[in-house]
Amino acid sequence: MFRKNTNLKVTITLVFTVLVSLQAFSQNNWNVPADKKAKNSYIKFDATSAGQGEALYNKNCASCHGNPGKGNSMKTLNPIPPDLSSAKSQELTDGELFYILTTGRGVMPSFKSVLSEDERWKVISYLRSFNKGYTQVLSKFDPNKSKLVKLDLSYDAATNKVTVKAVANEKSGVVVLKDAEISLFATRYFGRLQIEKSIRPDATGLAVFNFPKDLPGDKKGTVELVVKVTDENYGEIELQKNLQIGVPTDKPSLRADRAIWNVVTKAPLWIIFLYSLGVLVFALVLAYLVFSLSKIWKSGNNNQK
Amino acid sequence: MSDQLKADKITSDLLRSIRLNKSFLVWMGFLGTALLICGYAYFLQLRDGLVVTGLRDYVSWGMYISNFVFFVATSLIGMLISAVLGLTGIKWAAPLARIAEIIALAFAAIAGLVIIMDMGRPDRLLNVIIHGRIQSPIVWDITVVTVYIIMSTLFLYIPLIPDLKICYDKLDKLPPFARNIYKLLSLNWTGSGEQANLIKQTTRVIAIFIIPVAFAIHTVTSWLFANTSRVGWDSTIFGPYFVTGAFVAGTAAVIIAMYFFRKNYKLQDYITDFHFDKMGQLLVLVSLVYLYFNLNEYMVPGYKMKKFDAMHLNSLFVGAHALLFWSVQILGLVLPIILLIFKPMRKPLPMLFIGTAVLIGAWFKRYIIVVPTMEHPYLPIQNVPLNFKVYSPTLTEISITILPFILVLIIITVLAKVIPIIPVHETIEQHEENN
Repeated sequence: MFRKNTNLKVTITLVFTVLVSLQAFSQNNWNVPADKKAKNSYIKFDATSAGQGEALYNKNCASCHGNPGKGNSMKTLNPIPPDLSSAKSQELTDGELFYILTTGRGVMPSFKSVLSEDERWKVISYLRSFNKGYTQVLSKFDPNKSKLVKLDLSYDAATNKVTVKAVANEKSGVVVLKDAEISLFATRYFGRLQIEKSIRPDATGLAVFNFPKDLPGDKKGTVELVVKVTDENYGEIELQKNLQIGVPTDKPSLRADRAIWNVVTKAPLWIIFLYSLGVLVFALVLAYLVFSLSKIWKSGNNNQK
Repeated sequence: MSDQLKADKITSDLLRSIRLNKSFLVWMGFLGTALLICGYAYFLQLRDGLVVTGLRDYVSWGMYISNFVFFVATSLIGMLISAVLGLTGIKWAAPLARIAEIIALAFAAIAGLVIIMDMGRPDRLLNVIIHGRIQSPIVWDITVVTVYIIMSTLFLYIPLIPDLKICYDKLDKLPPFARNIYKLLSLNWTGSGEQANLIKQTTRVIAIFIIPVAFAIHTVTSWLFANTSRVGWDSTIFGPYFVTGAFVAGTAAVIIAMYFFRKNYKLQDYITDFHFDKMGQLLVLVSLVYLYFNLNEYMVPGYKMKKFDAMHLNSLFVGAHALLFWSVQILGLVLPIILLIFKPMRKPLPMLFIGTAVLIGAWFKRYIIVVPTMEHPYLPIQNVPLNFKVYSPTLTEISITILPFILVLIIITVLAKVIPIIPVHETIEQHEENN
């Protein structure tokens, strides 16, 4: 009986160990597609781009990964976020780093809609600045090509649809960006709210999004829309446009009325009343006491005379 | 004839302490030296900032704020003994009223300083008044503490007026300037019926008025905590919990003071075993009430163990603060109650030890209220060094915490040196009434 139990324990321990190591293995293996792995940056990794990347890193990455080389990543996460200046991390290609940063997985969030492509490459530029043996292979991609792209955004009130048109005006003629990925966002207080999923345009270059009927806008119902187009050949292009398609919303500011949290001139009346009453009562009692003391003094004076 | 003799004896007994003697100078020399050492620690804090303390982002209220609460608490005793017992006609407390008032005034006056010691930039103190918000309990606290200091000063001073005249008359060996101060402060006291009535009336008015003020000062201090939603502070009974706790601390302080005044000033005829017996009973009473509030404060959330409360309570009951928590509750509260139920324990010497244990317990109780909660914020603590999470006071900080105690002892010593600590006029009156 005892022996059997021990065997069971050993088996459980073994299975558990295998499972844990398998999990760890799968987490370390990102399976980046070959074409993505070979992708290179069109931004030159120099002191300028690394400097800009450092600011982005500190804002977006340091809270989990810690400062490169300091070993202060957040140990409570599983898997523990690696030190990105370590030899193991630096073995990854630029394309792999870019892919991981873009797609994310599990505890590692996707930075696709948080950082622009330029910004993502700048973060990698910063990480490469810790690798003395690194030499950059620049991509042949010409970021200026994005200037050829023309985006258009329109709204149809009858069907409540937002239509995005994405074409490039090449010398050879108008090219439809049919392989591009098109995303629509509405700007909110904190970041962008994506409207539906990212889609590819149809053969005529049109992408149609169903716009929600209940999205709050400003006082007039204005919503700032952002279209983001990502294309292998043309890079990343954005268009911003204000449309009056939201629900007009006019909420008074939290600082408009008298409230506990407001400034002293907008304190609640009951607090002002009670506080003043307390101070007034004290002042009266104090006045009475001082008056009594002066009476004692005067009375003594009279007696002495 | 014998009455006159008796009155003369009372006067000379009670005024005997008002003179410079060697032991006073030695004691003041000791306090002065200690003040210099602790003052140097405060100089370091002024020069380098609060980084010299163990206070960090999470535990930003440590020993200093515990100290502040303790000082405000102890100062409440003046109200209990002089006002509550006085107004209800409890005669035995009369000789102790002035000791209680001196303690109250000293602790209340220094409490304000303790708050300033907690400020990294005390030069910006004025901003609290210029930019203070009437909605903030801190502003209420500053207001009521100021009111209480003024009221306590008057509560000490007005019944003292006849005694100041006696001091002027009898202490003819003092230098003229000192006698003139007594004369000036005695406000032409002649002992006429009109003056006696005025004193009686005003003392009564203060005695009544100081009760709500004293309740306010410690209730508002408790609201500095209870008006937040932090675990361990988010409690509706914090006001009465603090006020009753204050009575425990203050009663213990008076007992300790009684012992030393009686011994050093040879006041065995005036502060008798009977007074110690009564104070012992009073301490049992206030401790029982405080124990009852403790039961509510810990048992009710401890029964429910809500998620965040549980984290906090576990650290108190079985975790990092358990040793301190149980020591404070048992040695500083439960054991003194049990011991003081027995009459032999209410003799002066055992009372001194019990009072000291209660007072030390009362200080650490404030520490237990302030620090563990600060270590348990609602938002998770991430990526911070260990000393941000676990508070450990530095030596400099401990010295600065001791500083206000030295100041209080200096105030008490000086006041007890220049005024009779047992009311002379009242004692004579009492004696005449009894005969």
